[in-house]
Amino acid sequence: MGKQYEIPVGAQHISLLEPLHFKFTTENERIVDTAANVFYVHRGIEKACCTKFKFRQVSFVVGRVCGLCSISHTTAYSQVAEKLVKIEVPPRAKYLRMLVIELDRIHSHLLCLSHVAENSGFEALFMKTMQYREAFMELLEAVCGNRVQYDFAIVGGVARDLKPTVVLMIRERMDHFRHQLEELIDIFRNNWTLSLKNKSAGAISRDDALRLNVVGPFARAAGLAIDVRNETEDLLPWKEVGFTIVTGTSGDVYARNLVRLHEIEVSMRIIENVLDGLPESALVTETKAFPDGEAVVRIEAPRGELFYYAKGNKTQVLERLKIKAPTFSNISAMVEGFQGSEYGSAPAIIASYDPCLSCTAR
Amino acid sequence: MKKVETTVESLKRDIGNFYQPDKHHFIVMNAVDLGEKLEVQWFFSDYDPPYDITTFYTIIEPQEELPSIKEIISSAWVAEAELVDLIDIHIENTGKGFVLEEDSEMAPLRKKK
Repeated sequence: MGKQYEIPVGAQHISLLEPLHFKFTTENERIVDTAANVFYVHRGIEKACCTKFKFRQVSFVVGRVCGLCSISHTTAYSQVAEKLVKIEVPPRAKYLRMLVIELDRIHSHLLCLSHVAENSGFEALFMKTMQYREAFMELLEAVCGNRVQYDFAIVGGVARDLKPTVVLMIRERMDHFRHQLEELIDIFRNNWTLSLKNKSAGAISRDDALRLNVVGPFARAAGLAIDVRNETEDLLPWKEVGFTIVTGTSGDVYARNLVRLHEIEVSMRIIENVLDGLPESALVTETKAFPDGEAVVRIEAPRGELFYYAKGNKTQVLERLKIKAPTFSNISAMVEGFQGSEYGSAPAIIASYDPCLSCTAR
Repeated sequence: MKKVETTVESLKRDIGNFYQPDKHHFIVMNAVDLGEKLEVQWFFSDYDPPYDITTFYTIIEPQEELPSIKEIISSAWVAEAELVDLIDIHIENTGKGFVLEEDSEMAPLRKKK
């Protein structure tokens, strides 16, 4: 056995987007053990939602759980609240929710890919990917009114309709982006140096993904075909708009990159189908009912399964709201995924996990 | 959502008999403060159609110690550690301090008496 070194990374570190801490034990540059602390930013959001806000206001609060997947939180909360007050959302609102969820997935995946590139030492690719992402930030602003934390989904439906000029803008940007996406897929798949850095790095097997209950692109890259969009048709009609699942096999950083890139292709197809088939209807179903009983909702956020549990007590304020973010499910696998990888690959591995600590700690 | 009642004594056996890693996805644990008692819940979804959600639940006294399900579901330690901090339940072999620092307000999700 060689000499072992303990190397702390974080809570503040150049390769980390958010505060998390890893303590790596290394031997001959290979990681042999990892400890993690991911709860630096607990904000008491669940508590606030059950004490300070009425249930209709909570969708605006949970929109602040995460800056990246705000629409997933507001949609999941709206859906769980709609179950408690027993209302059906108008079809147009369902389609518009899917539109924003997929626009959001594209910008979130591009952000992750850009950081994998940066942490792998590819500054120019980081810049290029962020530049392409900017088009989708502008589209989200055009659709929702905000670049981040868009309060688009509300209890009963959505807050805004889609203007014809914005539909045109989305179609133009998507046409333009199609070639850029092909270019990104080519680079991430075929660039010799990048693939050399990313292949085998941070790999987990399909069996490990099952054992550790991994979710999202992290699980799908390991060959585990799970995606909530494939499993829930009652609240949003994903298959009607052309959802198909994307999986990889090797479970490493390289596979995660490709799964995310191909998921962007699926998201683009869904967006086109949503625009082509957008039903005419009201945007909101009104109700004066108060939440009663308990309900759960799962939704596929960009990082994986987002879970909401809510319990009502026939008053304006919820009895309990529980939020389980995708990264929460992936913590165990994040720790195990480093085993055997070179310490020099750790920044790219962390970025490929696409961790969101803001969601996780809430 | 299918709810299955269990007890502190039979929890490990019930979840152990039910859970198969290639058939069930462990979602998370949750607890609800009922006032004098706590309802603790374990959520699972099926990997296969119709993708049902099964919830095991038990109602316990606040000071009662729950068995850990870490030996059945190794990733459950995160959910157990979170509940220990946020709602102050006692779970075998699970310490405090994973989510909240020592100088934080403890058990924020417990109702104020």
